[in-house]
Amino acid sequence: MNILEMHDIHKSFNDLDVLKGIDLTVSQGEVVAVIGPSGGGKSTLLRCATTLERIDSGKIVIGGDVLCDTRDEKLHYCDKKMLAEIRSKFGLVFQNFNLFPHFSVRRNITEALIHVHKKSKAEADEICNSLLEKMELTAKAEEYPCNLSGGQQQRVSIARALATNPEIIFFDEPTSALDPELTKGVLNVIKELAAEKMTMVIVTHEMSFARDVADRIVFMDGGVIVEEGPAYELVTNPKAERTKAFLAGY
Amino acid sequence: MSPTDISTIENKYYYVLTVCSIVLAVGCLIISEVIMNNHKKHYPVGAKVKKPPIVIVLLSVAGIAVVPFLVLVVRKYLTSVSGNYKTLLTTAKLLLQGFLYSFGIFIFTIIFSLPLGLVVAAGKMSKIKTISVFFKVYVSVLRGTPLMLQLLLVYFGPYYLFGVQTGSIEIGPFNYRFIASIIGFSLNYAAYFAEIFRGGIQSMSKGQYEAAQVLGFSKMQTYFKIILPQVVKRVLPSVGNEIITLVKDTSLAQVLAVTEMFTQASALASAQVSVMPFIVAGLFYYLMNVIIETLLGFLEKKMSYYS
Repeated sequence: MNILEMHDIHKSFNDLDVLKGIDLTVSQGEVVAVIGPSGGGKSTLLRCATTLERIDSGKIVIGGDVLCDTRDEKLHYCDKKMLAEIRSKFGLVFQNFNLFPHFSVRRNITEALIHVHKKSKAEADEICNSLLEKMELTAKAEEYPCNLSGGQQQRVSIARALATNPEIIFFDEPTSALDPELTKGVLNVIKELAAEKMTMVIVTHEMSFARDVADRIVFMDGGVIVEEGPAYELVTNPKAERTKAFLAGY
Repeated sequence: MSPTDISTIENKYYYVLTVCSIVLAVGCLIISEVIMNNHKKHYPVGAKVKKPPIVIVLLSVAGIAVVPFLVLVVRKYLTSVSGNYKTLLTTAKLLLQGFLYSFGIFIFTIIFSLPLGLVVAAGKMSKIKTISVFFKVYVSVLRGTPLMLQLLLVYFGPYYLFGVQTGSIEIGPFNYRFIASIIGFSLNYAAYFAEIFRGGIQSMSKGQYEAAQVLGFSKMQTYFKIILPQVVKRVLPSVGNEIITLVKDTSLAQVLAVTEMFTQASALASAQVSVMPFIVAGLFYYLMNVIIETLLGFLEKKMSYYS
């Protein structure tokens, strides 16, 4: 079953075409890494899939629900109710965490559970505790984000994204703001999630991580998918010239 | 013998005493500061320093040495044309009555202008052009014209523009003079608060909105749970600044002949041909602001649990 389907996505900012007809399908349990040079449209693709940007034309289906579709040359976005439904089906982990600084770690994780998903406080706390245990942050539950290291903050934000039990998680360069040592901790958590067959789309510059963890790698440049294929194969034996040139830098 | 006769003889010595004691007070403060600086070296950085006995003695001497000066000021007043203990007490009493009005203007203005400021800020940031332009003009005009003029306009405007008789308007114990001053102050301060709020809201990173949106929070939830609490912390110092200014600005209600403290002080000063009522009024304003400063400091400390 496909969790994410994106067909012929076009997106431009003013006169700049950022996405020029992208097709991307992610099936259940699959881990897809999106790599490529900066400005190639990776982050924009992710932002379109996570409803943070509106596309110009194309079709996006998440967890079987149609987010938007183009019929007769006209783009139709789903209504508010469906939008809320779709938003509960995915989680997003930002490059710079975007934790809520005025909430404790616990409230960062439980707030949406209680006030959006209408769970009881006890239920939310239980979910929070098990997630923090998984992230090895049990001792930090009552701390505020400013007292945590970057790696710990990113792990909290992963826990926050996981809390609502989404069908797919998007990572937007999750380790770009971290030093190599902290990066390791975060990547290990993502590895564990991959082992549990969590469906994930990861925009990353960590090539060896993409090779080892992803099932499939998508190489994007200039608003198009230049090449895609099984992770190990694409990294070790790229076919397109552009991919070769890019990977030679690593 | 009249009081003035005593003072002519005594005053010469008293002035010398006053000057000497002030020099003594300053000297004591300087010496104790030097001793403390030396003394601090024996403590690790950041540790709480205990004052040595000699410093405590010096500070006490400095405190006592100020007394002749205060006595001089009060004596001057008591030996002036109209001054005696009784008038001093009446002055304080009348000023306190005025202070109640000043405080009333202050508190009602805060109650109305803070929420109104939020509305104006939201209006100015509105995507609907007509609304945003309206509030931009509002802020521009209210910040760009004298508050005194605005007060006069609120008071006299209804009659001269629309022929409304405002003299009979009363809400509870408050006449229209008082009500008009509160309306004027609230409208004016809302403009200033709006700009402070707007700055605070726009300083929030886009990521906070996006994180909230992706987690499924509604627009209202995002504003009231995520954005506003953070904005409050950011704008508190600037809002505090305006609040302290407002305490002093209440004296402008004098132009509407509201019997607030400054009006009372002016009347008393000219009746007694003395500056004392102004000094006492100044003390009241200052005291009120010290209390506000303390409260603001307390609030800031309370919100410093995150950075």
